[in-house]
Amino acid sequence: MNPYNAWRLTSLSTLPAWALALAACGLAAAVFLSFRGFRSEPRKSRRAALLGWRILAALLLFTLLLEPGLELRAESRVRARIAVLIDTSKSMKFPAAPGGPSRAEEMLRWLKDKQKELGALAGRFQVDVYSFDKELQPADLTKLLAAPGDSQGPSTDILAALSGAAGAGTGGRPLAGLLIASDGADNAELESGLSPAAAGELHKLGAPIFALPIGAQSLKDLAVEKVSVDDFAFVRTQVTVDVTLSARGFPATDVPVVLKRDGQVVAQKVVHVDGDQPRVDVKLSFVPDRTGKFAFTVSVPVYDGEALAQNNQKSFVLKVIRDRVRVLLVVGRPSWDVRFLRQLLKRDANVDLISFFILRTPGDDPHTSSQDELSLIPFPTQEIFQEQLKTFDLVIFQNFNHRPYRMSQYLDGIAAYVRDGGAFAMIGGDQSFSSGDYSGTPIEEILPLRLLSPGSPGVDESQVQLKLSAAGVRHPVTELLPGKAENAAAWEKLPRLPGLNTIADSKPGAQVLLTGQDGRPVLVVGEAGRGRVLALTTDSSWMWSFVAAGQELGPRAYETFWHGAIRWLVRDPALTPMRVTAERPSFDPGEMPALDAQVRGSDYGAAAGAQVTVALSSADDPLPKKAGSATANAEGSARIPLQALPPGAYKAVVTARRADGTPVGETEEAFVVASASPELLNATPRPELLQAIATATGGRVIDASDDLTRLSFRDPERVEVGQRTTRPLWDTWMVLAALCIVVGLEWTLRRRWGYA
Amino acid sequence: MRQLAAGFRMTPPQTALGLKPMLSRRMFLGALLATGAARAFGDAARLTFAQVRHTGRWDPRPDGLGRLAWEISKRTSIETNPVVKPLGLADPDLFHYPFAVLSSDAALPVLADAEVAALRRYLSYGGFLFLDDASGARGGGFDGSARELISRVVPGGSLAKVPREHVLYKSFYLLDGPSGRTATSPDLEGVELGGRLAVLYSANDLVGAFARDSLGTWEFEVVPGGEAQREKAIRLGVNIAMYALCLDYKEDQVHIPFIMKRRRI
Repeated sequence: MNPYNAWRLTSLSTLPAWALALAACGLAAAVFLSFRGFRSEPRKSRRAALLGWRILAALLLFTLLLEPGLELRAESRVRARIAVLIDTSKSMKFPAAPGGPSRAEEMLRWLKDKQKELGALAGRFQVDVYSFDKELQPADLTKLLAAPGDSQGPSTDILAALSGAAGAGTGGRPLAGLLIASDGADNAELESGLSPAAAGELHKLGAPIFALPIGAQSLKDLAVEKVSVDDFAFVRTQVTVDVTLSARGFPATDVPVVLKRDGQVVAQKVVHVDGDQPRVDVKLSFVPDRTGKFAFTVSVPVYDGEALAQNNQKSFVLKVIRDRVRVLLVVGRPSWDVRFLRQLLKRDANVDLISFFILRTPGDDPHTSSQDELSLIPFPTQEIFQEQLKTFDLVIFQNFNHRPYRMSQYLDGIAAYVRDGGAFAMIGGDQSFSSGDYSGTPIEEILPLRLLSPGSPGVDESQVQLKLSAAGVRHPVTELLPGKAENAAAWEKLPRLPGLNTIADSKPGAQVLLTGQDGRPVLVVGEAGRGRVLALTTDSSWMWSFVAAGQELGPRAYETFWHGAIRWLVRDPALTPMRVTAERPSFDPGEMPALDAQVRGSDYGAAAGAQVTVALSSADDPLPKKAGSATANAEGSARIPLQALPPGAYKAVVTARRADGTPVGETEEAFVVASASPELLNATPRPELLQAIATATGGRVIDASDDLTRLSFRDPERVEVGQRTTRPLWDTWMVLAALCIVVGLEWTLRRRWGYA
Repeated sequence: MRQLAAGFRMTPPQTALGLKPMLSRRMFLGALLATGAARAFGDAARLTFAQVRHTGRWDPRPDGLGRLAWEISKRTSIETNPVVKPLGLADPDLFHYPFAVLSSDAALPVLADAEVAALRRYLSYGGFLFLDDASGARGGGFDGSARELISRVVPGGSLAKVPREHVLYKSFYLLDGPSGRTATSPDLEGVELGGRLAVLYSANDLVGAFARDSLGTWEFEVVPGGEAQREKAIRLGVNIAMYALCLDYKEDQVHIPFIMKRRRI
């Protein structure tokens, strides 16, 4: 059977077009020149014959060069394409209308309804179906209807999907149009709307886009769209959280915006939203009162009829650090010990020192009856021990007896402050420890040692040669020099102390770091609740500075000791025996979070084999629940995997215990479970975007009832050549022979009629 | 200030007897020692003046510093040691006493380099030196020799006027200027090291204003201001001791509004 149904003339010449054109010109010139030779011929018939033969010869010569041929073609007419795009991004999992089926289900229903119409369209066009989210994928409509997949696309890029679908056709099929079904929740190039550039790009596709908005019915939604805050903040310094709310379809409403930490409200504000202003910015400020990592949640109430409840809150993790250690130094009497400690603390740029020295007691007689001649101020006990106490990182009582200042009422508060994570140090002297009337008070409860009952001798004046205890060998507070032997020797070299406060004994769990040669405790540290406590039973540590300097030892030991002590007391992260960090500050819902712990023992060596346990609490569930555990390896490290958690802000209390059950340490970490996916952060349907896209391309927005076959798709005709062959029209020798005959005849006539 | 347990205070002998200060030196010292020893951890906790011994007249006012110690103890919460410790500059024990007094009523002898180096070390590590010109005379031998000594101890440094706004004048009493047995100089002078006054120089024989004889009567007349000037001198002595122990404590923010209000009165 002849497969060819069409033909056309063609040239088989291998000469380039310009050569053929040149030849044509040459031949035309030859005809003209020849004509000039016989134009004076009086007989018209002769003139015509000579010109005719010359033209024929030129044509034959040109034919010889042109090599005409016949192209036989098997032609067919090509159908144009229609691209159907189905949104499979995560936002399609949200309900199309409050309480109703999901957007994906809504879309599937529409596809099922339109199966027939799509079939009818397939008769006229080639219908290509694609699914799209972050990327465009070809899809099979039959399979899609039979087993719809879960909408899992991590983002939505409508512009890329439309451009991709338009250019994806094979065989050069013309594009008749695009049909897109989506919620319009674009979070790529069209996130902020259809820009003129994007509209231009869509227009260049040269085909109309028809868009079916899904979920367009549910327009009412209030969302915490954006929360901006620095990654870290300074303790006791105001932090401002910038919150952007988006409110669609809301009548004029006063909305309370609340910022919570561990379920406790730290800031709130009421903002006014109304339909005219879809976005409202609000600043929430608070002053963090302690250091650490905390999970915060910004939330607004969920109102009736909202499209999405999940976007009404947003959580974040904030690390609160201290810029300077705020130290309260309370001194019972000026002395050299006081002077050298104050000098050291004042010089330290990392310390913000607030001091109160008792310069005069009621028994002193300053020889004036007028307070105006004195620079003394009242001791503001209530202000510092009640109102300001929590603003301090460390409280030091240096040779200070509380009793004369009627401070008993504040001692409970000081103990509670320490147990709640504060730090306390008591430095010796004749008004300290047992001599300071602390026996039986809340202060004795937090001290790492037991005091003698009132009336016992509170001071032992026998000289003290310092000795580093086993616990002191590796403790950061007593590390003057690296190396055990060097460190112990450095302590023993220091000047002898002239006496010590006498105490009953150290408490269980406390660590005696320094003793006298006779074992009397000099330096004892311990923990009280979440706070740390240090007891130094001498009032002469200044001798480690000045007297040591006189002995050519220099003041380094004093400075190193006190800096180390303060860092340890305020839990300088570098000295914390246990460090825990979440793998990331934020996890996706469904993801399994993990915490990494580094555990060191009380001797600051790796706590190998320690059992590390995590208890989790959240704003919704404030009761800590065991969430995971692991055993520390030889390096003291452990990774604690947790189960997947629902969205929220979580506080992890991590405790480590040795195999025998004795505690090693406890610390806290915070993390957030929230989708970082833009799909879930802003899933509000955007029919107006789809409308803009359709309009820009000459299409329109359709609804579920629109008959797809009646949509005004373009229908350009395109012919496709399936098969072709060429046949030469003239054999070369025949043309050559004809040429010889014509040229010979013309020559003969010319000679005969008297032309050269 | 609220009240304090009275048991911790020394009982001033003169008020106990209800007499004018007529106590003998021995009785006075004995009373102090008897009450002080039971409480503190030896001398280290108390303020003890070290009197710098040199080859000249190093102790021109033998009773002065002891009296000042007593006054400080009586008027303030500072615990003092009434016994003055005489020490040479090269004596390593000097470093047990961060408050040293260098005095004479004549030119200071030229100190050995080792003594100068020891004094430099003493001052740079936190010691405080009070220079007292016991002659009380303008342009006396002490003045020139003290300045020369300071230029050797603090290379490139020299005595400079202590401004009236300095915390020294408000460390306990609110004072408007210096005082002493004489009114030779209207200013105190000093040298600052590491942000604190490490050397203080009085040309007004300050310690002379405190000195009593063995019968407890004032040893020297105070001119030209009489007893009011003596009281001011004692107050200055108290302030100097308070400054040595508390440094710039009275410049902490919490004190400023109170002090400014009282200064205006």
